[in-house]
Amino acid sequence: MFKEFAKGLSITLKHLLPGNKTTVDYPKQRLEIAPRFRGLHRLVPAQNREKCVACYLCPTVCPAKCITVESAENSKGEKYPKVYEIDLLRCIFCGFCVEACPVEAIEMTGAYELANYKREDFNFNKERLLKN
Amino acid sequence: MVNLTIDGKQVTVSKTATIYEAACEAGVHIPVLCYAKKLMPYGACRVCLVEVEQMKGRLIPACTTPVTEGMVVTSTSDEIVKVRKTVLEFLLVNHVVDCPVCDKGGECDLQDLTYEYEVVSNRFEGEKFDLPTDEVNPLIERNMNRCVLCGKCARVCDEIVGYGSYSFINRGFETKIATAFDRGLNCEFCGQCVSMCPVGAILPRPFKFKARPWQLKEIDSVCGYCGNGCTVTLGTKDNKVETIRFNDKTGVNDGNLCVRGRFGYSFINSEDRLTKPLIRENGSLVETSWDKALARVADGLKQSGSETGIVTGARLTNEELFLLRNVAKALGSENIDHSGGECYKGLTEGLQQTLGLQASTATFPQVENCDAILSIRSDFYETHPVFGMVVNQAVRRNDAKLTVIADKRGKFTKLPEAKTLLHKPGLEVNLINAMCRVLLDEGLAKTERLSGVDELKAALADYAPETVAETTGVSVDAIRTAARELAAAENAAILLAYGLPYTAASKELGIAAANLSLLTGIAGRTGSGLYVCGEKNNSQGAIDLAVMPGATGLGAQQMLSAAAQGQLKALYVVGEDMVSSYPDRKAVELALDKVPFLVVQDLFLSPTAQMADVVLPAASFAEKDGTFTNAERRIQRVRAAVPSPGDARTDFNILSDVLSAFGAQAPATAAEAFAQLTADTAAYQGISLDMLGAQGYVWGTDILTPITRNLVAVAGSKPLDAAHQLLVGSALYHSGTMSTHAKGPMAVVSEPYIEFGREDAKALNVAEGDLVKLSADGEIIEAKAKVDNRLPQGVLFAPYHFSALGLNKIYRGQPAIAVQVGK
Ligand code: SF4
Ligand code: SF4
Ligand code: SF4
Ligand code: SF4
Ligand code: SF4
Ligand code: FES
Repeated sequence: MFKEFAKGLSITLKHLLPGNKTTVDYPKQRLEIAPRFRGLHRLVPAQNREKCVACYLCPTVCPAKCITVESAENSKGEKYPKVYEIDLLRCIFCGFCVEACPVEAIEMTGAYELANYKREDFNFNKERLLKN
Repeated sequence: MVNLTIDGKQVTVSKTATIYEAACEAGVHIPVLCYAKKLMPYGACRVCLVEVEQMKGRLIPACTTPVTEGMVVTSTSDEIVKVRKTVLEFLLVNHVVDCPVCDKGGECDLQDLTYEYEVVSNRFEGEKFDLPTDEVNPLIERNMNRCVLCGKCARVCDEIVGYGSYSFINRGFETKIATAFDRGLNCEFCGQCVSMCPVGAILPRPFKFKARPWQLKEIDSVCGYCGNGCTVTLGTKDNKVETIRFNDKTGVNDGNLCVRGRFGYSFINSEDRLTKPLIRENGSLVETSWDKALARVADGLKQSGSETGIVTGARLTNEELFLLRNVAKALGSENIDHSGGECYKGLTEGLQQTLGLQASTATFPQVENCDAILSIRSDFYETHPVFGMVVNQAVRRNDAKLTVIADKRGKFTKLPEAKTLLHKPGLEVNLINAMCRVLLDEGLAKTERLSGVDELKAALADYAPETVAETTGVSVDAIRTAARELAAAENAAILLAYGLPYTAASKELGIAAANLSLLTGIAGRTGSGLYVCGEKNNSQGAIDLAVMPGATGLGAQQMLSAAAQGQLKALYVVGEDMVSSYPDRKAVELALDKVPFLVVQDLFLSPTAQMADVVLPAASFAEKDGTFTNAERRIQRVRAAVPSPGDARTDFNILSDVLSAFGAQAPATAAEAFAQLTADTAAYQGISLDMLGAQGYVWGTDILTPITRNLVAVAGSKPLDAAHQLLVGSALYHSGTMSTHAKGPMAVVSEPYIEFGREDAKALNVAEGDLVKLSADGEIIEAKAKVDNRLPQGVLFAPYHFSALGLNKIYRGQPAIAVQVGK
């Protein structure tokens, strides 16, 4: 019994040795995130417009129902999102929108520091999403 | 009947059924692309291929192959799936696949099949189509890059609509659907092709990029325009009507609609809708609250009491009309009327005196199987287009002999083999009399059980076909043939429409048509029918509910003259623009000016409303619950789909409040009102709301048997002696004045016009688009000229829908107006 106890404790002690730390000194130090990390969304720009064609697949698939799209016709007769908004307070970062998009117009970035002071600040409209 | 087995299931179907129809019966799913229930089998796409044991060695298209006794059908097997997959691959070779921006996405048959058969790659390669899109017209967008060449659009436009816009052009890979000379679409814009296209090649433009099909809420209601009573399924999103959805399961119209029903919904969303009650203060109308407006109405009407006149259009629901009648009762007034009071007399007096009925004797669908059809006035297609499509189907599929008694040509006169008795204006009764005379002379008349035969014979002495031919300008033979055909037919129909622009001799026409229906035996015979159809969506309901003057009451015209003479204390106008649409605008304006208290309840600030003391903002058909009764007596449910704009309220709510203000009891809900009105109306006895199923409920059963069979002698008229005669009527794209607030109809016909025949136009040196003046009786109207070949020499035509034209300054209810043409 004592043998097992010592074995367990030695593992614990090993972790106390320098170089064996699993946490980082955030925010001075940051982890490198995986490429598949699902952080804040980004709308991909294309020439003179957004890549999004307002197909309504992402608001349809979104389980949290936090995406608002309103389609319209632009001066060239193309379909475009007159409104594109994500209510981040409701978003569950599932990434379904990215998966659903037929034209790869929406991505998820590595940005995870999303705290803010006002509720409105969590409402990401098209312009903000295009800048991300 | 034939027995067969499909996937091991035994089915018994009629021997005219196809394998596909039998499979539907058996509950076996076979995919289709080019098949449509209402069209003839075609077999263009080969998606529906199945195996039949008796025809081994090849696959058989299910949609075109008739069933045979003992057939054993397999609907799916590995081989079938492989073939279907290949068919889809072929279809996708040149297809653009722009689903993300294609408005069909989500309800596209090609998309669904591609998904179902997991066509994720394509073994064939080819260039994607790059054809120009047709966006010339504002209603229908055509993108032939998405076409799968199923031919449904061309077939529906031919077989059902009878217009024939499309056909296939070119060959092989270049094959495409095109209009004549491959120009932009310019047609009736009924949108049947839109509803039939299985892909996104033909789409409704007003709905472009508005929403995805799955986001729409669908509400089945009844079209608020004409008496045809088509089911319209409103597609709403965020409390706004965005489009009309295809629905061939409900109602009497088989999914067919006309331009008004399909594209005329936008008046609901119009910016011009009244949203607040208005009250006249110091000479001008100012916004006010409902409390104040209703108090003023109650005060005013209480003072006028039995000297109040109530006038309505026939657009309200039955329930609302019932309340309106109760308002009249509460006021002790019998002065209540609708639709100008004259035009419906063909029913209420004409048919009443002869058949003892006030309604059409049969239902619409059975006309499809008629052998002979007589349409009185070519305008029938304009007033009731979807019924007109049934006539077209009878002509094309059943070789029905169509005769049109008309003062101008129209769609009906162009149908295959149609015979037109083109007569001088105003002489319809003469012609019908002559036809009756032929029947009596030649012993074709079925006179047993009829009374008044001898009197009629005597009265028809002056209507020998030869005499009538001379007065009307129709050939003797044509009259005789028309009469003989009608008498010989096993199933036959007589059609007559009535409405505000057809007030002349309405009673006489009703009687004449009824006489003819009696002599031919059409009235009350199974499979045949006399159809006297009202112009508005609830014209028949207004007559069934007796929204007509009581024994001592005044009709609409008498109310107006009483008002002009200062003998009417108040007028309550509900849903009617009298100034714009009633005959004799001057007289109407004088009356409305003179009447001490005028209340107008409407959707828009119409010229009538502008003269009112109180204007109450009301709701459109899309905002209310209730029932309409169509021109074949079908009672159908109307359902609220969206809330009313601003403070506008349904006529039901407004009338309830008016009733309560008089201390009278008002039913709390439309359903309660329906129960009360059925108990109160003889023909509606015993009908309850749950009896109104998907097809509604036809009161008095499909065939209404005449109660009396009296022939009544009726005199024709004399032709008008004038070089130029103006006819007043309906344009296909419009209905009443309401459609002039809707974008769809306005996109096609946006302004009033005066139509000339080519010969007249040449003689008068008038070209299309020229501004022309017509003068009559010292009044002048002015509009752009439209030139085509519908009108005989000396005859002009103008539609009555546009208030701005002021047509009723010269139209006083005459069958034709003698006019001078100037520029
Ligand atoms: S799925 Fe893509 S293209 Fe469609 S609306 Fe969303 S972002 Fe736009
Ligand atoms: S027609 Fe169908 S398959 Fe073709 S682009 Fe439109 S939705 Fe996609
Ligand atoms: S809208 Fe009607 S008339 Fe025009 S092409 Fe289509 S089906 Fe034919
Ligand atoms: S336009 Fe539509 S309905 Fe017409 S053939 Fe092409 S796919 Fe069929
Ligand atoms: S206007 Fe008449 S024919 Fe046209 S869709 Fe409406 S009810 Fe049907
Ligand atoms: S559905 Fe049978 S061939 Fe097209």
